[in-house]
Amino acid sequence: MSKEVVPKLFRVNTGSCNGCDVEFVATAFVDKFELESLGVELVEHINEANVLVVTGPLTARSEPFLKKYVAQMRKPYAVVGIGTCSVTSGIFRDSYAIEGPTDKIVDVDINVAGCPPRPESIAEGVAKGIKVLQQKLNGEATPKTLDMIFSDFTAPASFRGKIDLNEDMCTACRTCETVCPSGAIEISAVEGGFIHKVWHNSCCFCGNCAYFCPTGAIFNTNSFDTAKTQDEKYSEVNVGHINYETCSCCGENYMPPSRGLLGKAYVHDDVSKLNDAICPACRKEANFKRMYG
Amino acid sequence: MSEKIAIGPFNPELEESVYFKLKADENRIVTDVEIINGFIHRGMEGLVTKKNFMQNLILTERVCSLCSNNHPFTYAMAVEKISGIKIPLRAEALRVVADEVKRVASDMFNLAMLTHLAHTHDLMKETMNIREHMQDLKEVIWGNRMDMSVNILTGTKYDLDEGKIEIILEKLKIVESQVRALQEKYENSEAFKEKTIGVGVLPKEDALSIGVTGPVARGSGINNDVRVIAPYSLYAIRPEIRPNVTLRTEGDVYARAMVRFGDILEAIRIIKDVVADLPEGPTYLEKRPHIPAGEAVVRTEAPRGELIYYLKTDGSQKPERMRWKVPTFTNWEALKVMILGDKVDNVTMILNSIDPCISCTER
Ligand code: SF4
Ligand code: SF4
Ligand code: SF4
Repeated sequence: MSKEVVPKLFRVNTGSCNGCDVEFVATAFVDKFELESLGVELVEHINEANVLVVTGPLTARSEPFLKKYVAQMRKPYAVVGIGTCSVTSGIFRDSYAIEGPTDKIVDVDINVAGCPPRPESIAEGVAKGIKVLQQKLNGEATPKTLDMIFSDFTAPASFRGKIDLNEDMCTACRTCETVCPSGAIEISAVEGGFIHKVWHNSCCFCGNCAYFCPTGAIFNTNSFDTAKTQDEKYSEVNVGHINYETCSCCGENYMPPSRGLLGKAYVHDDVSKLNDAICPACRKEANFKRMYG
Repeated sequence: MSEKIAIGPFNPELEESVYFKLKADENRIVTDVEIINGFIHRGMEGLVTKKNFMQNLILTERVCSLCSNNHPFTYAMAVEKISGIKIPLRAEALRVVADEVKRVASDMFNLAMLTHLAHTHDLMKETMNIREHMQDLKEVIWGNRMDMSVNILTGTKYDLDEGKIEIILEKLKIVESQVRALQEKYENSEAFKEKTIGVGVLPKEDALSIGVTGPVARGSGINNDVRVIAPYSLYAIRPEIRPNVTLRTEGDVYARAMVRFGDILEAIRIIKDVVADLPEGPTYLEKRPHIPAGEAVVRTEAPRGELIYYLKTDGSQKPERMRWKVPTFTNWEALKVMILGDKVDNVTMILNSIDPCISCTER
């Protein structure tokens, strides 16, 4: 028979900007978020806890204290990291004062990216943490992935959630990479073009990339499905391929213009006809011949 | 006989990490207080010099997510001062709208934590539930419940149309009447008053000598609201939107709570006034302006009090130096006056009454 768990939760703030902790308080105390429906008890002392919630990028100052606190926990327990900071140290990653992320110090079970995550994601993360705890209690192996627990997962259309890329519009200009505050975007040159990666676990969902992108290729979706198991930590990536086109005239590879930008420039023309697979050099030559040849 | 008591660093009652070492006498009256800091130090002053001006719009927002609009707002003002840029009037108005929305949500969170620590649980729940309207509003208009990502250099990212203004006004109508009713409940709750009146007193003389700011100062009878005494942005251009500040003289936890109620209601009034007469025009000048070498100091009124930004640039893409003085820095000193001689059981509540933002202070 499987043992019943009473989830007893203790939260440790390892240097958060408040965002995650305030949202945690909202998740715990606002009726509609139903943390209580999970039967969660918020305990006063770490030695009573079996679910540890960690927020913040793990500052050098809090590192030894986190270790001390974790050592006081009775096994088995589950660890839920809340907020991009906890998952990857997020926007603070490059600072001298940061020793994180959390999984350097303690075995994390569930990561909830978001800056801060919506209360619905936080509740989802805790629910998944409880599930892991249950499995540990019954001597089962920790699952590699977990199905979604709460079903009502909608956000307003305006919500700045996970980033997506429209590959056809992107010209690999690197503006997004330059303005991204948390180093979540990586554009690398490969044979035949570029690979454009966005790491959802580093992203702070600020929308800077979308705002400054000259072609409108990159955008925030309103997806906030970010409560994932530790095994999924490094696969939460949006990968886009921006391919060179081969010039129909000289056979050289070139970066085609963004259809998004062409659409802005030639408002009255059919853009697909303008872009006839010719590289800039050949186009110039053809134009020159047409005018002076 | 004296007793030693440690609170923290990770205390479930407190939202942030802080470490108190107290000494108390046999009546559990605090006789000595030592406060140990540094848990939230993320090295941000170093970090901002490694990031470019666009990235810093977002990084400054993460100094603190409770006053997360004030930081990029003040930072952008500093950059604009150095660049000699006058931003469009509409942008000034939009910045103020966002700022006052944040003020309402921030002050309400503080009141919720206060009632939590005063063990008046019903008041706490109700405060959080009313605050939810502001959270919903932020998400619908700006796309995130905490970090609105409003400011860019030379203006704002967002704009308001009639539909959005409608949404804002509808929400504010609900919140305003609920806040008024809530304030009455606070004023009539014997349990709440018993816990907070006469507790954590900061006399006016101490308030002046320590130089406290924001609701802490106003709770001790000092009006130093920057929006009034050194108006900036739209507050400078349109005197009628400056707040009519609430002043109290008792200097206790209760007085500070009531000042925050006043701030909330005035913030709502300001938002309504600004959106009723939103200036026409663009919302920004240039997405990526040139920033010459220079220096600037700017100050604004955050929900917790005066926020000062110092910025030095050298003509490159990154700040050469950025330094900020946050409200909690001075208000923190007042804690010693408030806590000494009060009960050990009141310590966390007194701490909360200055609405401490440790993540701002230690950054
Ligand atoms: S993840 Fe974002 S909201 Fe949460 S603590 Fe970090 S910076 Fe703040
Ligand atoms: S997504 Fe936009 S900003 Fe980023 S590389 Fe592509 S075109 Fe440039
Ligand atoms: S939203 Fe875009 S710019 Fe902001 S952190 Fe995420 S990837 Fe970077």
